[in-house]
Amino acid sequence: MDLVRHLECFVAVAEESHFGRAAARLGMAQPPLSQRIQRLERHLGVRLFERTSRQVTITEAGTLLLAEAREVLARSEALMATARRIRDGETGLLRAALPPDVSGETVAALLAHFSGTADGLELELHELPTAQQLERFAAHELDVGLIHHPCDVSGLELGPVLRRELGVLLPRDAAAAGLDEVPLASLTGYDLILFPRAGAPAVYDDLLTTCARNGYTPPAVRHAQGTSFVRGLVLSARAVALSPRDAHGQGEGDQPPSPASGVVWRPLTGAPLALRHSVAWPGGRGDAAVAAFTEAATRALRSTAGASPDLPARPLHLRPASEYWL
Amino acid sequence: MTDALARIHAAFADAGVTGRLHALDIDSGAQLDAGADQPVCTASVHKLCLLVTLHEQAAAGLLDLTEPVECSPQARTTGPTGLAAMLDGARLSLRDLAYLMMSVSDNAAADQLLERVGLDAVNRTTARLGLARTLAVHTFGELLSTIKEDAGPGGARSLADPLVVTRLRALDPARTNRSTPRDMTRLLAAVWRDEACTPEHGAAIRRILGLQVWPHRLASGFPFDDVHVAGKTGSLPTVRNEVGVVEYPDGGRYAVAVFTRTARTSALLPAADAVIGTAARLAVDALRAP
Repeated sequence: MDLVRHLECFVAVAEESHFGRAAARLGMAQPPLSQRIQRLERHLGVRLFERTSRQVTITEAGTLLLAEAREVLARSEALMATARRIRDGETGLLRAALPPDVSGETVAALLAHFSGTADGLELELHELPTAQQLERFAAHELDVGLIHHPCDVSGLELGPVLRRELGVLLPRDAAAAGLDEVPLASLTGYDLILFPRAGAPAVYDDLLTTCARNGYTPPAVRHAQGTSFVRGLVLSARAVALSPRDAHGQGEGDQPPSPASGVVWRPLTGAPLALRHSVAWPGGRGDAAVAAFTEAATRALRSTAGASPDLPARPLHLRPASEYWL
Repeated sequence: MTDALARIHAAFADAGVTGRLHALDIDSGAQLDAGADQPVCTASVHKLCLLVTLHEQAAAGLLDLTEPVECSPQARTTGPTGLAAMLDGARLSLRDLAYLMMSVSDNAAADQLLERVGLDAVNRTTARLGLARTLAVHTFGELLSTIKEDAGPGGARSLADPLVVTRLRALDPARTNRSTPRDMTRLLAAVWRDEACTPEHGAAIRRILGLQVWPHRLASGFPFDDVHVAGKTGSLPTVRNEVGVVEYPDGGRYAVAVFTRTARTSALLPAADAVIGTAARLAVDALRAP
């Protein structure tokens, strides 16, 4: 008996609570579906469904088996994914992506970790922003990637979420530049330099909301991305910019001199702002190669970018329009 | 139309959501499809299916809408509005329970009604109306329980964690109450054309849909005193939906169904609520264009 195919039928009937709908979903006729369920029940020696003329309900025994059936299906899919990859390339090929803002050291560390663990597997690495990675996941053109949060995670599975703390770049003569740690509220009056919103609207909005929540609502937001341009604006335009700690060579504890004189980097008090990352892959398609990439990327971000586990969530006050309550 | 579609997709992207929309001119059949056949989680939008079922059963003489129901405060389904938020026992008619279920999305009232009509009856009604991709697999209480289970010990605040969000069964259309935007506009059109129920019951359903209190989604796109908006929202972590009918004084009436998922996990996202109105307006304007 093809156990996997039979379990597929079992899960479909359990989820649809209806033979006709389950058959339609599986792209088969109803009689063979009923026969398969009966065969599976005989094979397992367990009655999975109660059938009346009107409806199908899953039995207690069926409920107990459903989670494991789903697991077997997920694992069988992962096995097929690995096989597909091995078949596609001589040694197997993993199509992976990293966002453009990851530093060269992080990429190097990731590659070193990965080649150490995933022997015989070829890594095809692309540089892609989160939005494009999500599109390629959907088109089955990408196996795994490092993405920015927040983004629409429907249909994805994720590795651990890590945060890269953001500090502030400000002119050396700003009052706040004299502090070891800068409270966001002390930036009041300075414009904020951010990447253009269209690149990642949710990340952009999240950063501005957190600034506002912590007492800093910039009079204007100026859009810039290139390092030199950002520095120029900081020096000349009464503006500040956000930048991750690892982009300024300031690991925990040491304070090397700022490279370009007039601009300094300072951590923010309470570390309220961060870039958040995780490895992601399409749901049900995780396999050993994906796990190896996840492990390598997570280790690389921790060792080279000072990334740390995501902070515990803040209090949450749901309002009535939320329509749910836990 | 292609221009309207591009603007709708741009509006969704700008608000940080993934959106699916179907808009239908109830009389001409003209339509606008932006992911109209994608499976979506209905959340509280499914209360509309329950309301139609209730009236269908009343029309068939299976129940009397004025029948009183004892609503004990024990074991009530939780929620932030209506009976779900009240502390004491109450006695309400079936139709007033339906009013609470639709006007403020009262989860306790909805589950009292479900107890009376049954989940299977709701699925028979949607099947009868040809909504082949619409299915309820659990009550509102059960739906909330899956979220509680999947969120784990961190409770509501862990819902801000993307990793937790990917694990919620309530956000997977294959494993929760589901439909498509096209199925929902088909249901609304049937209600407005008196094809779902008798005219008397159709009028009662339309009255209740017009009493919804929320102004922040579909209605926000139509800030016109002479335009009537009736609808039902649905919300879960990262999910914001509304389906409804917009009626113009010249007789134009349009069923619109908008289902969105936000990128951000924050509970409060006014722009994501408002884009439901913005997208619906773009769609209705396109359908009304000469």
